[in-house]
Amino acid sequence: MKLEGGKISSSHLTFLMIGFMIGSSLIFIPGQTAGHDAWLAILAGLAEGLVFAVIYTTLAMRFAGKTLVQFNDIVYGPYLGKAISIAYLWYFFHLASLVLRSFGDFFTAIIFPETPMIVFIVLTALICATAVRNGLEVITRCGLILVVTMSLAVLTTTILLFKDMKLTNFLPVFDIPLKDFIKASHSAATFPFGETVAFLMVICFLENVKFAKSSAIKALIITGLLLVMASVRSIGVLGVTAPIHTYPSFQAVRLINIGNILTRLEIIVVGNLLAMGFLKISVLYYGTVLGTAQLLKLRSYLPLVLPIGAMLVSFSILQFDSVIENIFFTFEIYPYYVIPFQIGLPLLSLIIAIVRGLPKD
Amino acid sequence: MPKRRKILFKLIIFIIFILSIAGCWNRRELDTLAIVFGVGIDKAKKPGNIEITAQVIKPGEMKSPQGGSGGGGEKPYWNLTSSGKTIFSAVREFTHKSNRKLYFPHNEIIIFSEDIAKEGIRKYMDFFIRDPEIRRLVWVLVAKGNASEVLETKAILEKVPARNIAQLIEARAATSQASAVRLQEFLTRLMSKTTAPIASVIEITREKKEKIARLIGTAVFKDDKLVGYLNKSETRGLLWVIGEVKSGIIVVKSPGGNGEVSLEIIHASSKIIPEIKDNNIHIRVEITEEGNLGEQTSAEDLTSLPAWTVLERRQSEAIHNEVRRALKKAQELNTDIFAFGEAVHRKYPELWKDIENRWDEYFPNIEVTINVNAKLRRSGMTTKPPKPE
Repeated sequence: MKLEGGKISSSHLTFLMIGFMIGSSLIFIPGQTAGHDAWLAILAGLAEGLVFAVIYTTLAMRFAGKTLVQFNDIVYGPYLGKAISIAYLWYFFHLASLVLRSFGDFFTAIIFPETPMIVFIVLTALICATAVRNGLEVITRCGLILVVTMSLAVLTTTILLFKDMKLTNFLPVFDIPLKDFIKASHSAATFPFGETVAFLMVICFLENVKFAKSSAIKALIITGLLLVMASVRSIGVLGVTAPIHTYPSFQAVRLINIGNILTRLEIIVVGNLLAMGFLKISVLYYGTVLGTAQLLKLRSYLPLVLPIGAMLVSFSILQFDSVIENIFFTFEIYPYYVIPFQIGLPLLSLIIAIVRGLPKD
Repeated sequence: MPKRRKILFKLIIFIIFILSIAGCWNRRELDTLAIVFGVGIDKAKKPGNIEITAQVIKPGEMKSPQGGSGGGGEKPYWNLTSSGKTIFSAVREFTHKSNRKLYFPHNEIIIFSEDIAKEGIRKYMDFFIRDPEIRRLVWVLVAKGNASEVLETKAILEKVPARNIAQLIEARAATSQASAVRLQEFLTRLMSKTTAPIASVIEITREKKEKIARLIGTAVFKDDKLVGYLNKSETRGLLWVIGEVKSGIIVVKSPGGNGEVSLEIIHASSKIIPEIKDNNIHIRVEITEEGNLGEQTSAEDLTSLPAWTVLERRQSEAIHNEVRRALKKAQELNTDIFAFGEAVHRKYPELWKDIENRWDEYFPNIEVTINVNAKLRRSGMTTKPPKPE
């Protein structure tokens, strides 16, 4: 029984992971609560995230060829394992709906104020559904193209803003209490680095699982640098005004003005968001669908794509009434809500696997 | 049969996508927009209300009339006014008069009248930063008098007064005697605990019965309230310190005593260095300038080394004096327009926590050393003045 016939190479995995992590974090820059030290918070968060990534890839390499849902059964036994898998599927599903919702909020708030949010959410979900139906290889190939374009766009907009950046905005370095800094850096670790736990559904399709660890680490470091660049861009340009903005990156790029000719480039940020968000939602959506199929021992995951997509759409609209609820959840609850999924359970699984010498061949 | 269903399914998907690509939900066609070029905010007659003037362009009249200007053509713009308790409500009031909805992304200037500015403008800023249509690159100005009147001044070389004012702001770089402040910069200063916001000043002069807008000096705010103005030379003094001097002419006495010499500023930069001396905060301002000899009215030869050195010295004295004047004015008004407070914050973060809330007590008495390093580089197309040997 094979649900997914595709194989991905390690470099494809790196690109997909970058796209996944950049996802919506390019507009909601992580570590924002650290003020002008946000870039330091991202670096600290990256360090924490690397620990997560090592745990995930060690697990994936130990249970080569098995997804999270499959090895949960081995580690925790058929009943508890299934319960944990269901919890994880919920998390992937919820995260995908959160990203979809951020999409909808962004577009209705900034670009098309009079269009109902459901239009964007349904269209995005349809595109992602097509990608998921076509399987993992299609998603990874999209990742390759989109991530390269996105990185170039981030680089270009940063260069174009060089003249508007004030280095003094970064001084004095480390100007916040340690407690707040740790809170900010932990929030950066959970969003986006720790979210790579979803790749436990994907890594098993790697051609050569030996390279899992190195490609994940590469992906995390590149993402960290891109996010630092984006956060330096926002802080350097916006300074003390950065924290009052709903979407600082977008606001920063709006200020690009090269000789009154090169202006109004903010649509680049929107394009990035669209492309990266597509990758993130697709991976999570794929993980949910594949995991559900494995859990229910189906022969194919295709019949699940549209029903789960419909649930995604409705859940993403129903879960918050306003953007304020979304922001509150993202910054105040999310960092704690994800602890069991991102670190607790994976670490426990790894310890159990090592102690019991799993998997037994 | 299943094959046919698959094709049908694909077809439906295609149709959905094609419809959604072409039909933008809230599309706005050019002929349904009233494009705003400038906004003026005045006090309304009713107490507590504000009156907004929006300058909307009439695209039909923008074409240059055939056979030279003047004559028949109508004004290519329309100044609409409306009033309300808040900016947004007043902006929407416009739709009672204008069939097209106002469109702000091309707005270039926001003018506050003096009375409004004196009462505080933070409450009026929120709309301009919250609304996604308004760009942070617009210029913020204070009008001596009514803002609506400024938007009715005659623009000779431009068609629209607001455009003219925006270009005056860009042209001010030739003298550096007027401030140019974009909304983003204004906002940054407004959000700083100690740095005082500044804005350009626009006034109306009458020349041959025509009202002409004139951009000169700087408006100084304390928190969000207008407290005073800097004149031409004080403004340049301020711009020297914050490193915004682009160009300009410095007129000094000729070394021989007869006549004047014009020196053109080519390049300038500055550094603000806070220091602690005897338990006192002390600010050192380092200004580096490069200039060219641009004109002389005396008959002496200025290209000799001794005369050149005297000129360089007079140049730096002139800069020194401008900065002193700006500093005196700022300390009188007790407004930290130079962002000295932020400089102290960056260098002494620990000390800053103690004095942050008492900066108003420190600033008027703070000691400032000004070091000017002014160089003269070139003498233009000639060396000696045109006179017989």
